[in-house]
Amino acid sequence: MTLVESATTPHRGSAPMGRLLGAELRWVLRRPRTLVMLGLFALVPILIAIGVVVADRGGGGLIGAIAGNGLVLPVAAMTLMLALLLPLAVGMAAADAIAGEAAHGTLRGLLLAPVGRGRLVLMKAFGVLVVAVTATLIVAVVGVIAGLVVVGGADGTLVTLSGTTLGFGEAMGRVGIAALWTVGQLAAVGAIALAISAFTEHPLVVLASVLGGLIVFGVLGAIPALDWLQPYLLTTGFSAGADVLRDPMTWGELGSSTLRALCYVAIGGGITASRMLTRDA
Amino acid sequence: MGVAVAGAVGLGLLAVPAGAGAAPELPPVSAEDLVTSVIQAKDPGPLHGTVTLDNALGLPAIPGVPQAANGTSTAQVWSDGAGKGRLSVPNGQSEKTIVDDGTAVWAWDSADKTVTKKAVGADRKPPQADVTDPAAAAQKAVTDLRATSTVAVDGTAEVAGRPAYELVLRPLPTERTLLREVRVAVDSEKRLPLRLTVLANGSSDPALEVGFTQLEFGAQDPAMFTFTPPPGATVTEAPARPGDAQQPQRPEPKVVGDGWDTVVIATMPPADAQQQQGGRGGTPDLSSIGKEVSGPWGSGREIDTAVATAIITSDGRVAAGAVPAQVLTEALSR
Repeated sequence: MTLVESATTPHRGSAPMGRLLGAELRWVLRRPRTLVMLGLFALVPILIAIGVVVADRGGGGLIGAIAGNGLVLPVAAMTLMLALLLPLAVGMAAADAIAGEAAHGTLRGLLLAPVGRGRLVLMKAFGVLVVAVTATLIVAVVGVIAGLVVVGGADGTLVTLSGTTLGFGEAMGRVGIAALWTVGQLAAVGAIALAISAFTEHPLVVLASVLGGLIVFGVLGAIPALDWLQPYLLTTGFSAGADVLRDPMTWGELGSSTLRALCYVAIGGGITASRMLTRDA
Repeated sequence: MGVAVAGAVGLGLLAVPAGAGAAPELPPVSAEDLVTSVIQAKDPGPLHGTVTLDNALGLPAIPGVPQAANGTSTAQVWSDGAGKGRLSVPNGQSEKTIVDDGTAVWAWDSADKTVTKKAVGADRKPPQADVTDPAAAAQKAVTDLRATSTVAVDGTAEVAGRPAYELVLRPLPTERTLLREVRVAVDSEKRLPLRLTVLANGSSDPALEVGFTQLEFGAQDPAMFTFTPPPGATVTEAPARPGDAQQPQRPEPKVVGDGWDTVVIATMPPADAQQQQGGRGGTPDLSSIGKEVSGPWGSGREIDTAVATAIITSDGRVAAGAVPAQVLTEALSR
């Protein structure tokens, strides 16, 4: 697939890629709804921390593991929010990126502007990815701080699910791996959302499709008779984030879910690009 | 569009299970020689492996032991080849870890953050102390098995990336059993059993398969064989031999039949004795599972699984075996 149309010569009127990405970055991050959403996301780890401290011990799963072991909080928060909240952020960004511009009538200007269609897709995908990375980083960083300050315990170390103790540096490495993996899963959601966004003029359709799709995937994954479907569902790997808390780390699920996410990125990206390249201005 | 197609194809490829490779070419070996070499085999030395259990036994779900219910579960094992070991059993978003550091066995459960320490002393028996002549022992084992089964080396297989011989036990036609065959894959080089497969009558899929899905030999990180209770964990010391003193002498279970249709009949301790031993915690409540059966031997509840049947009679006897229910009732009325 050619990324740059043959009609546009690289020298005349073609804006440099860095300036395009910078413009998209400002456009995405200055949007009040993005900022409000990111601010609200920062509250989630704090709320979990307060809940764990108030409720004291007990409870199973990752939430139960946070008690007295604050550095589990960022991983637990990312895993929990990956279910719906983080995809919501990515879906919103993708909905605004193409369908939102089409709804405002500004997409026509972009399509007519001396910017290759392929570059336009890359620019829009970059904007979505920035939202995914920012949202994940906010959850991770606030999670680490809230884990250390509000929950505390374990002397600044991380007690793994395997019962070993990791120092602060290594614990940060694990949080980083979890964040990277989360961004990978969100990129898959974002690519599919962008593809839907390229086909509609209504941002709400994108949002509804993303959230509805995730819920349907979750339901399909829970039906025992449809277990052959599980390797195809993006949501199957969503629980793999907890594997970074094992020692030694088990890469199997993290790796296979990341490969699955990359396949979804290819599907979404390919559909988006081919739609945008053939679209009438 | 090509990229999208590539992505869809990739997704399909990911979903295809890594199929069994071509059967490796190995020099032929007789069943006797194979069993002898397994008994004679040296300790495989330090190793790290992933063990996968594929369970289709049809057991009722037991709380706290998700591995008993149908499904797939995995565990990781490490051994330093000199008696120290580590076992880690992930279970959803928690994990149980058992570390044997040579002087004590530590059991960690991340779900309730508890550590149980159990000292092991010098009373540990060196392995294989009672096998005097491995070749004769293997010969005898195979001869004993041949009385009730056909024993054969049936081709080769690749297990955890290692070539292996498949030792197959099939019950003779005269045996009244639910089992069709039992296959053991034996590593061709280290002569270590790598996989056990149990096939039941009436199903082409294994009722139970447990084996290595990944295995590597070689020196392991010594840190794997130590355990320090993490901060915030509750540590309890278990007595060196729990229950040895307070366990009342139970009557020996009675064995009826031999070979594949062996039935074991045991007597449950009376109900009042059970309550003294700690009430409901000990024995799970079995009165709600199984189906009501009765006959000249009395009445009770029958529990069926893919490979075994058990009858718990109302007078406290338990009969179990890898046999149909009829063989159990015959043994009970004997």
